[in-house]
Amino acid sequence: MLPDLKKVMWTTIIAIIFFGLIALFSASSQNSRVTQEVFYNQLVFSAIGLIAIFFLSRVDHRKYYDIAYIVYGVNVFLLVAIFLFGYYALGAKRWIVIFGFNFQPSEFMKFSLILALARYYTDHKPSVSFYNPWSRPAIFSDFIVPFLMTAIPMFLVFKQPDLGTAILLFGIFFVMAFTAGTSRRHLGGFLGLCVLAMPLFWHMLKSYQKDRLLVFLNPNVDPLGAGYTIIQSKIAIGSGQIFGRGWLSGTQNQLNFLPERHTDFIFSVIGEEWGFVGSVIVVTCFYVLILSSLRIVEQVKEKFSHLAGAGIVAIFALQVIINIGMVLGLCPIVGITLPFISYGRSSFLVCILMFGFLLNLARHRKIF
Amino acid sequence: MRLKSFKIAITFCFIVLIFGLGYVQIFQGGYYRQLSVSNCIRVVPVNSNRGRILDRNGVALADTLAAFDILIIPQEVQDKERLFSFLSEVLDTGRDKILAVYQRRRIASFAPVVVAEDISREKAIVLEENKFRFPGLLVQVRSRRYYPFGEAGAHILGYVAKMSQERIEKFKEYGYTADGLMGYSGIEERYDQSLRGVDGGLQVEVNNRGQQVRVLGMKVASPGQDLVTTLDARVQQIAQALMLGQRGVIVVMSLDDGAILGMISSPSFDPNDFASDASSKRRAKYFTDTEAPLFNRAIRGQYPPGSVFKIPVSIAGLYTKKISVHTTFVCNGSYKLGNRVFRCSHVHGPQDFTQGLGHSCNVYFFNVGLILGPKLMEEYARLFGLGALTKIDLPYEEKGNVPRSDGLRTRRWSKGDTLNLSIGQGDLLVTPIQLTNMVATIARDGRQVQPYVVKTVGDREQPQGQLTRVIHLPQKVLDQVKAGLRAAVADEAGTARAVFMKDILVLGKTGTAQSSGNKAHHAWFLGYCPSTKTRIVFCVFLEYGGSSYNACRISAELLKEMKAQEIL
Repeated sequence: MLPDLKKVMWTTIIAIIFFGLIALFSASSQNSRVTQEVFYNQLVFSAIGLIAIFFLSRVDHRKYYDIAYIVYGVNVFLLVAIFLFGYYALGAKRWIVIFGFNFQPSEFMKFSLILALARYYTDHKPSVSFYNPWSRPAIFSDFIVPFLMTAIPMFLVFKQPDLGTAILLFGIFFVMAFTAGTSRRHLGGFLGLCVLAMPLFWHMLKSYQKDRLLVFLNPNVDPLGAGYTIIQSKIAIGSGQIFGRGWLSGTQNQLNFLPERHTDFIFSVIGEEWGFVGSVIVVTCFYVLILSSLRIVEQVKEKFSHLAGAGIVAIFALQVIINIGMVLGLCPIVGITLPFISYGRSSFLVCILMFGFLLNLARHRKIF
Repeated sequence: MRLKSFKIAITFCFIVLIFGLGYVQIFQGGYYRQLSVSNCIRVVPVNSNRGRILDRNGVALADTLAAFDILIIPQEVQDKERLFSFLSEVLDTGRDKILAVYQRRRIASFAPVVVAEDISREKAIVLEENKFRFPGLLVQVRSRRYYPFGEAGAHILGYVAKMSQERIEKFKEYGYTADGLMGYSGIEERYDQSLRGVDGGLQVEVNNRGQQVRVLGMKVASPGQDLVTTLDARVQQIAQALMLGQRGVIVVMSLDDGAILGMISSPSFDPNDFASDASSKRRAKYFTDTEAPLFNRAIRGQYPPGSVFKIPVSIAGLYTKKISVHTTFVCNGSYKLGNRVFRCSHVHGPQDFTQGLGHSCNVYFFNVGLILGPKLMEEYARLFGLGALTKIDLPYEEKGNVPRSDGLRTRRWSKGDTLNLSIGQGDLLVTPIQLTNMVATIARDGRQVQPYVVKTVGDREQPQGQLTRVIHLPQKVLDQVKAGLRAAVADEAGTARAVFMKDILVLGKTGTAQSSGNKAHHAWFLGYCPSTKTRIVFCVFLEYGGSSYNACRISAELLKEMKAQEIL
């Protein structure tokens, strides 16, 4: 059963990357705003990435336990460094240049945080105490410490500003706490607290972020500004109908009406040009990949790897769901990329790290 | 255990996504498709500026200007009285006149009516500033093709007009839009692809009244490329002035490389009339006029060459040694073949070759023609490019007709046909550009070059002035023919004595060609100036122009004027 799962994962990963490249080719084929360079970069990167996944899948997953906190520490340090050495692009300070490569530490933070929390919960098993659930030490070690571990990078990322990744980091915390076995009542109470804190949170948002959230409720509030993207995206996807308008023939895409179509909104290109059929195929690939990964994680008995694997699958699934939900207008635009498909080196690299890890779990399953 | 809830949650979310996709793409798909392509979203073309057409000195022959039109949307007008009084005041025209135009052109309450076209920038600004006081008043800017020289060179430049239905069908696949403008005839048509640039567009959402609600996106237009032609605006103007009131053609071509300096076909038309809606009446007239002003006679008109054809006949005779310069025939003013009489213009008496060519003696060439036979004459006609396209870079060139001596369509070749052919009559038809090119080939000692008009497109030099053929002729033959061509101009009794000039060396040949029916003869003069500053070969052709003397007179004027303006 399990060796098959590994094959399934490889197949779906390659299929998704392949679909992504085709869509990216179309998104960059026409004009000046998104150049062909984008496609070729991604092509080269995909090839390197697949080889990297292969080698990473041979790195023993238990090694990650040892380096979890170090990776976390370095990554938080880089996030701080951004404020000192980072540079602005697209209205945010997210990038930093290391060894001539510019990359986004916030993307890597997703992976680092998963490792760190997995280790934390491995070392500090949440107390499932039936007699005194609100005991102080339990709350402290189950919640406060891991939440602080999350809150620090989350705050740094949020300040960049990068709302999407900040939300994802929060999601990681929640998923990890849940998987580790924190009591449901605690988690429920925590969520309730968060909801109460929402108005406070609202004031911390930048005005364009507020606009985006308002626009989600009614895109026609500001059709030329914040609502523009979502209107264009829905028109693109909807106009694809069942069989799509054909590769390289989507007018929304080819005539430049879709902004950010090579990054966050790449799925609109797929929806417009390949229609419902193509979209469902891509979504199904993601679903199969996620479920087969989950099956592998299920069978891993070792605590750390189990937790980290679950976190990875969850965060991957969350990104796919939010991204596609976003371009469909089902959730607000928060700037989350579609893994393996959106153009972007850092986001691609994180996917490689994550699936290197998961595939290694698949290799080592027999030990446990 | 807890992973199971993940599975459920993720599966649930993916089902929501699939349903979301289904809802947007299938259930609402038609709506969004419509939004995407049809009614609600409209791509308003932002026309790219058409490239200019320049003459060899950089003078604009066709330019693109901004034009301001005044439009009124009937249903939005509140105070009609006040609006029209205001318009009359600003435009300096009678109020009733504007009102009349408005009423005549009004179609529906929502359709904008153009009440004034191409008004001055100052007036447009005044109106624009007062727009808010007069709802329903619109000032629209569009780019307009402008031809500063009007009728001079209209045929070679062509014009720009809305595409006809037939063309819309034909060019749809090439990215042309139905409401777009397109070059018609001349350079405008031939180089349309380079001139037109790439239109941009505004994507706007419009409501059911066709009004723009909001701009959703835009694509910037990129301008067309400028063309530099070999034309000389001065030559065009001189030639146009000379042909005023005449019917015919003037072609002036560079002797060195086949570059066209000037090409006039008369009667002409004003290409500016195609740029505005106001002149639709004049436009209609161009299409129905029996004088066919839109017809470029220089490359499309097919006429008998008359005596000009004696040049290739001479070469054929001298080259094959069937005659020599000393071959003499006696002209009695006519030639009898059976009971048919073929006439000559005068009684020339005994003529040797140089005299025969110089005096354009028909009887001399009847004899030469009979010696040569039709086959050889046909061969030489084709050798010099008659009966074939010169491949000048202008559309719709005709190739004329060289009769096939091995069998006419309706009857057998007769001796009479040979006589007719030897003096360029009968079924032989040529275009003025072909004859010009033929004379140029002889003037260049047998080097035939493809004539051309456009030198550079954008910043790319075109591979023009290509050598198409080299006819190897002995220098002696060339000299003998040229002596005849010189004699025609320089001899006191030469047929082209009218072109003789003290300060310019001119060689040439006249032609008076019988036209079909009882109309006047066509008048030709083909000449070249081998030793001027700009070495030229030129053709003056008058359709039903009577005697070739008329063509010679105009040729002389042409040269004189070109000399005066220091072109030669």
